[in-house]
Amino acid sequence: MSARPFSSILDALTRQRWVTAALVVSERDGIVVESNLQIGQSGDRVAALAASLYRKARLSAKAAGLGAVSFMQLEAPGGRICAVGGGDLVLVVVAEPAVNVGLVRVELLRAVAELLAVGGEVA
Amino acid sequence: MQMTVVEAWIEGPLKRFVVDAGAELALLLHPSGQVLAQHGFARAVDVMSACALAAGIHASSSELGRQLDGRPFRGLHHAGRTRQIFLAEAQSPRGAFVFLTVFGQESSLGLVRLYFEELVNGLAAAAPPVEAITGPALAEHFERDLNRNLAVLFGRA
Repeated sequence: MSARPFSSILDALTRQRWVTAALVVSERDGIVVESNLQIGQSGDRVAALAASLYRKARLSAKAAGLGAVSFMQLEAPGGRICAVGGGDLVLVVVAEPAVNVGLVRVELLRAVAELLAVGGEVA
Repeated sequence: MQMTVVEAWIEGPLKRFVVDAGAELALLLHPSGQVLAQHGFARAVDVMSACALAAGIHASSSELGRQLDGRPFRGLHHAGRTRQIFLAEAQSPRGAFVFLTVFGQESSLGLVRLYFEELVNGLAAAAPPVEAITGPALAEHFERDLNRNLAVLFGRA
């Protein structure tokens, strides 16, 4: 088994223009499973907080009877955080403000199926 | 649930940790087992037991780390069905402390580790100058000091 089972998913995401980091994170633990980061980025911090945010968004949507969260986006002056969930894993992308969110969304949703497949093999 | 501290400078950083990490229980102690601060405990006897167990686990896991890896293990995590325990050493200008926290499904190990780092930094920043420190806990005064600290925490001082 590869030491980096999610590398093809993460590489495809970080190839997108203005994407600065991509991480596979355990939703329950908020721990990085695998990541593509730039020097100086704190993967652990982003992972813990983004996973917590995604989990709360998922639970809020469920409580409001909205069904499953398909895509979560957080917009801040310095950039965006996008996340999608697959099983117990969350795929998180950090990007600069100029990023094409539509493209990132398509890539993330496409990656979820692969994430579930690889996650199933790893488990 | 109320937080109580033996020394006032601990309260700010510990309160921030409890709020940010969503911890249910938190305990800061000297590696000897002397309690310094608690959050979420209702009874002195529970604090006393938790301190004794945490100090014992910290001592044995440190030694296990030294035997296996040449240096002590710094953190320990145990995930239960609904609650999890995180136990780690917090270095400060006043020496090493042991920190124990219990958290539920509202939090996560990642968040706890993240805010534990901030707690350590907060304690380092808030610690009074070293010359103002009272002497270390001595074995012959252990029970007296423990009873005094528990009395301070649970309002019987």
